[in-house]
Amino acid sequence: MDAALKLQGVTKRYGAFTAVRDLSFEVKRGAILGFLGPNGAGKTTTLRMMLGLVTPTAGKLEVLGETDGRALRGRIGFLPEERGLYRRMTAVSAIAFLASLKGVPRAEARRRARKLLEDNGLGEAANRQIRALSKGMAQKVQLLSSIAHDPELVILDEPFSGLDPVNQQGLEGIIRGLAARGATVIFSTHVMQHAERLCDQVVLVAGGQKVFDGTVAAACSTAARRLVVEGEFAPDALAGAPGLTATTAEFLDGGRVRLTGQLIPGAPVEAALKAVFERNLSISRLELEEPHLHDAFIALTEQGAALGLVARSALDVAA
Amino acid sequence: MSRMLAIAVREYLAFVRTVGFWLSICLMPAGLLTAIYATSMSAKVAPPPNVAVVDMTGGNYAGPLVEALRHPTDRTLRPAVIVTPPGAPFANAEAASQALRPYLAGETRTPEGARLDDAVIVSGTAADPSLDLWTRNIVEPQLKIELTDALAGAVRRGRLEASGLSVDRIAAIDAYQPQVAQYSPKSAAGRVSAADNLPAFVGLAMGFVLYALTLTGAGILLNSVIEEKSNRILEVLLTSASVPEIIGGKILGAAAVTVSALTVWATVAGFGFFGRDPHLLTEILGVLTRHGLIFYFALYFIGGYLMYATLFTTIGAFCETPRDAQTLLGPLMILLTVPIVFMGQAVTHPDAPALVVLSWIPPFTPFLMAARAASGPPAWEIAGTAAMMFGLTAVELWIAGRAFRTGALASGRFDVRLLVAGAMGRGEGA
Repeated sequence: MDAALKLQGVTKRYGAFTAVRDLSFEVKRGAILGFLGPNGAGKTTTLRMMLGLVTPTAGKLEVLGETDGRALRGRIGFLPEERGLYRRMTAVSAIAFLASLKGVPRAEARRRARKLLEDNGLGEAANRQIRALSKGMAQKVQLLSSIAHDPELVILDEPFSGLDPVNQQGLEGIIRGLAARGATVIFSTHVMQHAERLCDQVVLVAGGQKVFDGTVAAACSTAARRLVVEGEFAPDALAGAPGLTATTAEFLDGGRVRLTGQLIPGAPVEAALKAVFERNLSISRLELEEPHLHDAFIALTEQGAALGLVARSALDVAA
Repeated sequence: MSRMLAIAVREYLAFVRTVGFWLSICLMPAGLLTAIYATSMSAKVAPPPNVAVVDMTGGNYAGPLVEALRHPTDRTLRPAVIVTPPGAPFANAEAASQALRPYLAGETRTPEGARLDDAVIVSGTAADPSLDLWTRNIVEPQLKIELTDALAGAVRRGRLEASGLSVDRIAAIDAYQPQVAQYSPKSAAGRVSAADNLPAFVGLAMGFVLYALTLTGAGILLNSVIEEKSNRILEVLLTSASVPEIIGGKILGAAAVTVSALTVWATVAGFGFFGRDPHLLTEILGVLTRHGLIFYFALYFIGGYLMYATLFTTIGAFCETPRDAQTLLGPLMILLTVPIVFMGQAVTHPDAPALVVLSWIPPFTPFLMAARAASGPPAWEIAGTAAMMFGLTAVELWIAGRAFRTGALASGRFDVRLLVAGAMGRGEGA
């Protein structure tokens, strides 16, 4: 695989505390990677190691073929988790300044900054100071400043946080556009829908350790499918149905009940469906729900908790 | 290098585009002119003091005292208006002071409707008078000196007359002024002139200018880094440029700001001096260019600026708010009062042991060596103090290179353990 990023047994310790432990994975060039994990999982530390801001205590890290992220500053774009720009700078100057630091000639940097702003609906705000922009607009300007130099690798730390749904959709478009022109995009997020829609690969970390690395589909397959049955029947109508576990009941309007049961992984669906029909229930809705990345995230994080990799409090946040 | 310049240009433009910069550019000369002219103006517009003189000795001392009050030799004293002592004549000095006290307290006005500011009561005998000065202004020392001189002169003249000398003879003796000349090997002409003292004052002025500019530039850097730290811009900068490029760019940008301000102020001051006394401006320029003194000042300015700019920049990287910075800089600012105290002494005693010793302590070196410039410190002392200063700056830059990244990536309040860990290369980023 032509890897844009390669981590082999990467560990980062601060005194007695281990932030990242023996982390290994690869990302191929042009891919979009979702870097997922509950709070305190070690995501930001790992991203900082990729950028060369933090030196690993042990292990090997290779970014775009280099072992030191600092050697390829001009080839990497970075959006930090906590955003900030010079408040008195105009949008166009802020983007051009950061692009010029990445090696883009000054005049070209300004030209690119204007074009990026116009292409992303911020043309009118180009000459407005950052402090005069809305939070969403300022965040967009910061994102544009991280890609104005056409980086080969873009690292975005929680890029969707603080954005409204419209801007989130716009950001998804930008990320797809970056990948379409060949850039590798790595982003961390808590919002699983974005990762599910965008990612070719997801890596889930918990307690500083990797608990999953693979495609979205593979991640989803680690969570159970659900059978949803709605109608007028007793809440325990599906008790003892084969292949179903952890059934929950919700009481709906008009005396109706919604039963949601998790299908035991590997058990045949037919057995559960047959059991439902054999009980002659008055059913108004019957649906087999495929698991989403969110479910996989919860399941994998719970597995991590079971292994002692993640604190229970972090799990509550993830849920 | 181009990244360092880009950071320097941004830093410079960010500051010169603020209203505060232009206010300080304009207000500094205005403040200087106000300081120069306001003192004399306030003295001129102040009302003259009303003074009552009571002579109970019979020695006719009122005349010389009134003369001294009306035409004081000290220029800071306003010529007085002599008023008739209300309630005179008095039985004795005690009665006079009792009677005049309400007028001095402002409770009662004189028959002329004036407020009494001072009362001079001369009592005792004509041969041995004593003077009581009652005054509203107890912090004014010059009036007492002026009256003492006048009374002493009058008594001396009286005693000389009593011993048989004529009035003309006494006047001739009093008028005698010896011809005193001052020589020094440091004076080009041998004989010391007013121009020879100029380097001492230029050195002192340069010391204060270095002090103000160094701390102003370092303060600009500190605030700039705190803003970048609190706005999380430093993390982005660190992914775009190396620590030396960031620190170097910021120091260069702030230096350009201070040099711009200095250039404007120097130009305004140059025009001011030229307008008042073209010869003085030529003398000052001569002092600066003579014996390479301008390079001497430049050496200590560059060293001092780098030393404080690096320190303040590194501290800024560990601070989220100006309050955090105050915690760290408070003790340093107290320490920095030391050169202020000793710079004044450098004019009269440039080679005093305390000054020489303090000049070797790098944080004080640039200011004290600048102030001592006129005394011509030996070359080994210049080289040694400069080496100490640049040596400390090199150590600072080395620590800053290790600690800056740790501070920039850390979040939360300032923690001295983090600073130490960063300096030891054990912090974030290590």
